[in-house]
Amino acid sequence: MAEETLELEARLIERVVERREAILKEAEEEAERILREAEEEARRIGEEAEREILNLLSSDLKALRDRIVGAGELEGRRLLMEAREKAVSTVFQEVERRMREIAEGRDESVDYDAVLSHLILEGVEAIGGGDIIIQANERDLERIRRMLKEVRREAERRVEEVNLKLDGKPIEAMGGVILRSVDGSKIYYNTLEGRLARVRRRLEGRVAEVLGVI
Amino acid sequence: MERVISIGGRLQRLLEEAEEEARRRIEEARGRAETLLEEARREAEERLERAKRGVGVDDILRREEEAAKKEAERRMREYRRRVREVERRAKENFEEAVSLVLKEVLPLG
Repeated sequence: MAEETLELEARLIERVVERREAILKEAEEEAERILREAEEEARRIGEEAEREILNLLSSDLKALRDRIVGAGELEGRRLLMEAREKAVSTVFQEVERRMREIAEGRDESVDYDAVLSHLILEGVEAIGGGDIIIQANERDLERIRRMLKEVRREAERRVEEVNLKLDGKPIEAMGGVILRSVDGSKIYYNTLEGRLARVRRRLEGRVAEVLGVI
Repeated sequence: MERVISIGGRLQRLLEEAEEEARRRIEEARGRAETLLEEARREAEERLERAKRGVGVDDILRREEEAAKKEAERRMREYRRRVREVERRAKENFEEAVSLVLKEVLPLG
């Protein structure tokens, strides 16, 4: 009988202890939930305040951002523009270098006499004939002297009346000619550097396209 | 049997005490939660008031400045990449461009 009582007591105590632990555990979980939710709410309140402050400062922040990002953007565009300009300029510098080689007779692939002849005839046609004086640098004057007869013949074929004369005083030029009517009323600049400058003004955009930089 | 009843009474008290303890813990948690929320609200209100006077916004401005600098650097990296691409293409098409200009400059018929 005593043994049964003890066993009953033991089971009772065990159940009560289990129940006690369950009550405390539930309470602990509930407390944790309350605090967790409070922390989340506190964070939300903080974030809301942050949003309101950002809203309040929006124009200042925008100005700050525009200033810094704008400066970077400007610098980037400048670098890109410089790279494009440099690429195009390098082409014209190379053309000038090759033209100088041609004019000095160092490029055998180009018949510079033929070039000079074309330059003169172009000028003759532009002026329209009459007495025309040809100016050139010292080296080209010498070349023109040698081929003047042939050029005259071709000029006469193109315009009705023409009389070509050489101005013995050399000009400063890479190559090419300046033609003028005797009375000075008509002048046709056909030096190599002049042509290059004109072509550059006209073709810079096209060169940039061919290079693939725009 | 009396003994079991006596123990039963003590165990009942034990359970009542546990329930009391549970209530206390939950109340304490509620109290702490309320304090936490009051503190958060007070802090938020203070920050907002200070911000209206331009005080205590340095960290926000600094953050924006840092973000803007990063954006500016990102854009610069992109522009440098485009510059390299321009240089690469210019090198690749260089001869074609030179020939185009030479043909225009030199009257070779």
